[in-house]
Amino acid sequence: MGALEQLLNHPGLWRGRGIGTQENISVRPSGFAPLDEALRGGWPRGRLIELIGGPFGCGETRILLPMLADCAAENLRVVLVSPPAVPWIPGWQQLGVPPEQILLIRTEHVDDAVWSCEQVLRHPGIGAVLVWLQQPGIASLRRLRLAAVAGESCAFLFRPSAAAAQPSPAHLRIRWQGAQNHLRLEIFKNTGGWPARNTPVHIPVEFGIRHAPPR
Amino acid sequence: MHPRDEPTKPIRVRRHSGGFGTGNSGQLALLPAPEQQPSGDPEPVSGRALWMAVWLPHLALDALAQTGSSRTEPLIVVEDDSRPRVHDGNRAARRAGVGPGMALADALAVLNAPAVFDYRPELMHSHLETLSTILLQFSDHVCPEPEQHRILLEIGRSLRLFRGLEALCRQVRETLRRLGYSPCIGVAGTPAAARLLAGLRNSPRPVDHHALRQMLSPLPLTTLPLSEIAIDALRDVGLNRIGDLLRFPRADLALRYGSALPKLLDRLLGHAPETLPRFQPPEHPSFRLEFDQEVASSEALRFPLRRLLLQMEQALYARHRTVQHLELLLTHREDRTAMTLERSHPGHRAEAWLELWSIRLSRQVLPAPVRSMRLTATRLLPVRETAADLFGSSRDATERNGFLARIRARLGNNAVLRFEPTLHPLPEWAQIEQPMEATGPDAAPVVTPAQRAPGTALWIHPPKPCPPPASPEWLGRLEGGWWLDGNDQRRDYAHAHDRRGRLRWIFKDLRSGQWHIQGFWG
Repeated sequence: MGALEQLLNHPGLWRGRGIGTQENISVRPSGFAPLDEALRGGWPRGRLIELIGGPFGCGETRILLPMLADCAAENLRVVLVSPPAVPWIPGWQQLGVPPEQILLIRTEHVDDAVWSCEQVLRHPGIGAVLVWLQQPGIASLRRLRLAAVAGESCAFLFRPSAAAAQPSPAHLRIRWQGAQNHLRLEIFKNTGGWPARNTPVHIPVEFGIRHAPPR
Repeated sequence: MHPRDEPTKPIRVRRHSGGFGTGNSGQLALLPAPEQQPSGDPEPVSGRALWMAVWLPHLALDALAQTGSSRTEPLIVVEDDSRPRVHDGNRAARRAGVGPGMALADALAVLNAPAVFDYRPELMHSHLETLSTILLQFSDHVCPEPEQHRILLEIGRSLRLFRGLEALCRQVRETLRRLGYSPCIGVAGTPAAARLLAGLRNSPRPVDHHALRQMLSPLPLTTLPLSEIAIDALRDVGLNRIGDLLRFPRADLALRYGSALPKLLDRLLGHAPETLPRFQPPEHPSFRLEFDQEVASSEALRFPLRRLLLQMEQALYARHRTVQHLELLLTHREDRTAMTLERSHPGHRAEAWLELWSIRLSRQVLPAPVRSMRLTATRLLPVRETAADLFGSSRDATERNGFLARIRARLGNNAVLRFEPTLHPLPEWAQIEQPMEATGPDAAPVVTPAQRAPGTALWIHPPKPCPPPASPEWLGRLEGGWWLDGNDQRRDYAHAHDRRGRLRWIFKDLRSGQWHIQGFWG
């Protein structure tokens, strides 16, 4: 037995233990049970997450709101870097993200956006960074990945649909597609997780509605 | 042997020549006492007074290194009084055999094309003043002695604050080393003894009178700040060590060698008082660096700027002040460039400031090469005492805004925005964009019931007319603005999918029946 124990404890022997259970990575629950299950707990922190799809406005921001509300509740900021539209603050506030926690950074060049993200990601006190980039170079993506790992926040990178075909150093890559009242999420890369599943996750995007039919 | 025929001649004050050799010869100089007080009865000094002498033997070289020019080839600093001679040389020069006091012609014969710099006393004085400002953090009684490149500090009252003598000495040394100076430190109960000990290698730190006397006794006379002639004269009568002098009756010494010698001995042992003036720092800390070569790129200014910021940090720390605003003045051959940098929150850490200045400098186009730079803090702010906050929120706020200053320095003040809610019911007027300031909105923001009516859309743009949607999901009705001329609005809000699958945020103007797009639902 002793010899076996010794063998099993040998540092050169890898037994596949710990695979799939992202023990060393802390996560933030996404607020949606099926998504949490697919992501093994929630949105990973200190990882670069790509959300690929289009066009803007299908509900891809909305699915992050429960997580962002958690950040705000912990007194952590939510930073939006070069979004394609202006956030409507009362809407965010009703969903749990107060105005003082929202920070908008406007940039003109991709370089400036990536640089700003690096600054923000490396900083404590930031819960999540949402950045919209059209065509970031592979070097920019690497920089973002490094910055994300250096920090504790959730880093979300929104990219157009065409990006799914390109390789990327992001830890987690998710393709999304707007369906009727749902967002269809397909995880096709998850570094350090289970092999990607083919079954997509459906998330409702119409929450937050109080129906009040017109008289 | 009898003394030479100069016993009544006062001991000559020896001009300090550096004394960088390995020996102890002539490392100290005796200042001529300005007041001629009779050496009366020995006056006991309080045992608590403790003096530290910080001696900078290589100040001329340290000053050159400040500008960022570190050389491995031989470099000599030449002073020019009657005949040019070497003041100091760097390691390469000393290895080649060039030492202080050597004639320039000899040095040039030994060295192969060394870099030669002029010794500039006024520059040394400004360095000493800078260092005195910085050393004020360790004592309130600081006395620079610019001619000897030495600063004296009274540290008897600082010992407890800095947790003991060893810790204090280490801190002084570390502080100066970090700024690029190489200090020698001596500690003793009297300023004179501290000066003497600063010139010794691995000197002990006698704290009481007895230990001091014991320590001084075996030292050779050459450690005393006396002229060679005077030392020779003493040697001739068989006095070789300080102890021999101490045993000698003072009155006889005065008779033979003048009153300066016994006075020196009394001051060494603390029998005669020595009053030193107090250094007063300038009102606004301002530090200047002059480059030996013109600097053409703003990138190359980073290293010297770091020096200045470190000096500023220490000076501010010494005064217990902080800054939010720094000014940098670059002097060119003909004109000058003034730059200012303001941060969202006060602070004195050099590294934090350097980061911002690097960003600022990288975007600055230099009109001409830079010859010198000056860093000035005009408004000194009191350090905000951070009370032991249970949740550390005040420190958090400062920490949290650190990155904002960097982003603003690069992208401009209007690149980082926050939103301030208004109470206006119309969604397009419900918020104001504002440049991010250090202080966030304090008033607890509320969402008015009217603002709840249009739902929880996330993105907004100005209303644009659109065709009626196929199947709108109704959200709520908004009526208002009738009290404002022309702003009477009645809207029914809804969200609906458009042809591309986007979930749009739309409303129907009930007065005109026209549909408008207001934004995106998510």
